[in-house]
Amino acid sequence: EDLIMESEASATIIEARRRLLEEWRAWRSRVERDLADEREDAGLPPYGVEDDKDLEDAAVIE
Amino acid sequence: MRPILLQGHERALTQVKFNKDGDLLFSVSKDHVICVWYSQNGERLGTYNGHLGAVWTVDSNPSSTILASGAADNTIRLWEIKTGKLLKTWELPTAIKRVEFSEDGLYLVATTEQRMGHLGTILVYPINPDVGGEQADEPSLKITLERSKATVVAWSYLNKYIIAGHEDGTISQYDSKTGDQLENIQLHERGPLIMDIQMAPDRTYFITASKDKTAKIVDVNSLNVIKTFTTDTPLNSAALTAKKDFVILGGGQEARDVTTTAARQGKFEARFYHKIFEDEIGRVRGHFGPLNTIAVHPAGVSYASGGEDGYVRLHHFDKSYFDFMYEVERTRAQH
Repeated sequence: EDLIMESEASATIIEARRRLLEEWRAWRSRVERDLADEREDAGLPPYGVEDDKDLEDAAVIE
Repeated sequence: MRPILLQGHERALTQVKFNKDGDLLFSVSKDHVICVWYSQNGERLGTYNGHLGAVWTVDSNPSSTILASGAADNTIRLWEIKTGKLLKTWELPTAIKRVEFSEDGLYLVATTEQRMGHLGTILVYPINPDVGGEQADEPSLKITLERSKATVVAWSYLNKYIIAGHEDGTISQYDSKTGDQLENIQLHERGPLIMDIQMAPDRTYFITASKDKTAKIVDVNSLNVIKTFTTDTPLNSAALTAKKDFVILGGGQEARDVTTTAARQGKFEARFYHKIFEDEIGRVRGHFGPLNTIAVHPAGVSYASGGEDGYVRLHHFDKSYFDFMYEVERTRAQH
């Protein structure tokens, strides 16, 4: 019986974590989309694109 | 995770900060000196000398050419990073508690102390990225804080807002063009100071650290609280880790308030929490006094902490740190 309660408790925790993870990812994708829109309005490339380019260039030099 | 001990300061650390590329680590202290270290091996590259009081804050611009510092000698100074040459000094009526470059490096925001006859202010200076060029004498924006001085300030993405943490536990959002206050919310308890604000890499959210023993993640647009981290000690600093969804919190009661053995044995700890689940997942001890400041390498490969004990401890993360994952993260990662 203890084992059943324990596994129910851990199932509840896992479910709660799954929900938190989904909420976080939903919030982040909303924010990242808004940021991309605002950067586009300002005539800028998406966030991080310049940095990736720098890294590619660095790799080419090597 | 063996730390590298950076010995060079003679008094309490006030801020540590990596440059954008992550190869350099800057540290400032009450000993008036700014140090720069190679973040890979902890070797000291040099110092920037000239401040006549405790240096409270430091930041480097995105191209790692210009360093800004603010101090108790009531000056903000700009330095050429490579040579250590002083490029500009702005003299103000009171001490400077925080400086930060905008993400494009074209502006510097600073906050000044409130003192008899002087209200606290938030100042914005335009920055000439050419190290040989002239710098403006006057700020392009000055916000006078009638109600409560600001202890910390930071820039949002696209220089849209200035975010300030106030002495009364509130957070303000200012329009960075006009200086108008758009929002002000009671984020932390009144009384205990907000000690730190650090922006996420894309500057769409930030983390605060307060003496009220909590740290909070806040959306920069709505100022909605996204996450709260509750600890059992007053916090001085909070940092977000790139690569992993963790936060690192530092603080600790003053040595005089705790057992002297704790101080003697280096038991002051950096606390790791899971950013999304808000659980504590680990601690790293080592400092002989409260942790005043924490910074994470921009690529998430190491972190540095600066203590009241005068030491900077630099930690490179090991494989077990990167492998750590909750079951739900693991399943999601596979899909």
